[in-house]
Amino acid sequence: MPRASVIGVGMTPFGVHEATLPELFAEAAFPAFDDAGISAGEIDALYFGNAMGGQTENDTHLAPTLTSHVGLAGVPAQRFEDACATSSNAFKHAVEAVEAGLHDTVLVGGVERCTPETGLGTGAMTRIFASASHRQYEQPSGLTFPGVFALLTKRHMYEHGTTDEQLAHVAVKNHANGTLNPRAHFGRDVTTDDVLDSPTVADPFHLFDCCPFSDGAAAAIVTSADTGASFDGDGVAVTGIGHATDVVPLADKTHPSTTQAARDAAAEAYEQADTDGTVMDLAEVHDCFTGAEVMASEALGLVETGDGGPAAAEGRTSLEGEIPINPSGGLKAKGHPIGATGVAQIVELTEHLRGEANDRQVDDATKGVAHNLGGDAATTVVTVMEAGT
Amino acid sequence: MSETEEVERSSDDGDGDDRLTYREWAAALREGTLLGQECSKCGHVTAAPKAACAQCGDREISTTKLDTEGEVHSVTTIAVPPERFEGDYQVALVDLGAGRVLARIDGGRETVEIGDRVQFTNAMEADGHPAPVFEPTEG
Ligand SMILES: [Zn+2]
Repeated sequence: MPRASVIGVGMTPFGVHEATLPELFAEAAFPAFDDAGISAGEIDALYFGNAMGGQTENDTHLAPTLTSHVGLAGVPAQRFEDACATSSNAFKHAVEAVEAGLHDTVLVGGVERCTPETGLGTGAMTRIFASASHRQYEQPSGLTFPGVFALLTKRHMYEHGTTDEQLAHVAVKNHANGTLNPRAHFGRDVTTDDVLDSPTVADPFHLFDCCPFSDGAAAAIVTSADTGASFDGDGVAVTGIGHATDVVPLADKTHPSTTQAARDAAAEAYEQADTDGTVMDLAEVHDCFTGAEVMASEALGLVETGDGGPAAAEGRTSLEGEIPINPSGGLKAKGHPIGATGVAQIVELTEHLRGEANDRQVDDATKGVAHNLGGDAATTVVTVMEAGT
Repeated sequence: MSETEEVERSSDDGDGDDRLTYREWAAALREGTLLGQECSKCGHVTAAPKAACAQCGDREISTTKLDTEGEVHSVTTIAVPPERFEGDYQVALVDLGAGRVLARIDGGRETVEIGDRVQFTNAMEADGHPAPVFEPTEG
C-alpha cells in the first residue's frame, strides 16, 4: 500500500552557483511544479531542508522567505535540520502529512551553498561541517567530517579486510556514472590510480574518496496515494520510509562500523513496503566518502556485510551490475549541497522508476531505495519507492 | 582520588542531583583525571557524560574514574584540519575497559594503529574546550 505519491520533481545542476538560496530554490521548485502539471495555488504546504545557512550565509528563517519567493506566501512552511539528512527528513514529514490527510499536496525541497561562493574557504567550511559532531566531546580533538567517516571505515577495513583499492573503485564507479548525468558537479572519469595518488585528507581517504563542497537545490511534489493519478505528472509510489538515530558521540555507539541507524531505518522502510534489499533494482546511497557507500550497501542489505568493498571492485554495484548503486554519480560525483541531497536522491529514484533517466537509466527499474545519513551516521532515513501501478 | 571527591562534592547543587556535568568533567580532565559515568541499571560506561544512560535511559548514573590505559579501536590521521587547528595529527577511538573515548594521539601522523596499546597523558585545549590526549604505551 503506497504511503504517498511523488508526481513532480526538479533540481538544479549541482556545482558552483552565484544564485542566492531563494533563487536556487526556485530553479528546482518551478520545474517540479511544471513536471507535476500543478500551479502554486494547488500547493498546501512547504517541507523544506537547509542545514547550515545560518553559519554559512547568515541566513535563517528561510522557509517563509522561500514560500514568498516562489509564489506560495501564506502556506504553512517548516524548515528541517539534521545535518546531511536534512531534506530526507523534510520528505518524511511531507509524506506523513499527505498520508494523514493533513494536506492534499505539498512541496518538499532543499537548498544549500557550500562552495567559496559563500565567501568561505576550505578551513572555514571544514569547521562548519565539524559542527555536526559533538561540541564538547568531539570537536575539541580536531576531528573533521572526513575524520568521522575515516574512523568508521578504518574499523571496517580492520574487521572485514576492505582495501584502499576497493574504496577507490567506489569513486571510479561514481565518477563514471557522473559522466552520464548532466546535473553532476564532476562530469569526468577518474582511475583508481588517480584516487590513490591524490592527497590524503584523513586516512584512508584521499581527496578523490571525498565528495565535493557543492551548491544546489532539489524539489519534489508529494500528494496522497489516492489523488496521485489525478495530476499530469507520472506518479511514483512511496511505499516505505524508515528513520532511526544512533547514540552520539561516535565513541558511545555499540559497534560503530555497523552503522546501526541505517540498518534500523532500512528494516522499518522494507517492512512498510513488504520488501527487502535483495530485490531492489537500484539504490541511491549517501557516499559522502567512499567508505560510507561500502557501509551503506551492507546496511541496506544490497550486499552481505563485509562484502561492500569486493562488490564495488568487481563491478557488481556499477550501472551494468546486479545492483546499481548511485547511478546519479552519488554525492561523490553528482555533488553534495547538504540540505538538497536527500531530495535529490528522491529525484533520481523518480526518474529511474519512470524510465526517464536517459543515458544512465537502470533497465526495467521497478523498485529503488534511497539512503541519506546525517552527522556521524547517527541520523539515517531510508526510503523505498516503486514504479506507479 | 581527592580530585574526584572534590568534583563529586562540587556537583551537588542541593537538589539531590549529583550527576556529573560537562564543566566538572572538563575541570577534572584539565587536572589529569579522566572521568566518566556508569549506569547503575545496565552497567553502560561512557566517557561523554549525559543526563541519562544512552543505552537504557536510566537516570541513576554514577561518576566513575575511567581506565587510563587502553587499546586503539580505530584511528585516522587528519591531514586537512578545521580552522584553528594545525595538521597532521591522529584522532582515535580508544577502548578503555567498558568505556570508549575519542582522543587526540600525541605525535604526528601514523603514530599508532588499530590494536595498539595507548595511555592517557593529559589534556589539549581548543576553543576553550579540553580534549583527552593519549600516547603509545612503552614496551
Ligand atoms: Zn543503562
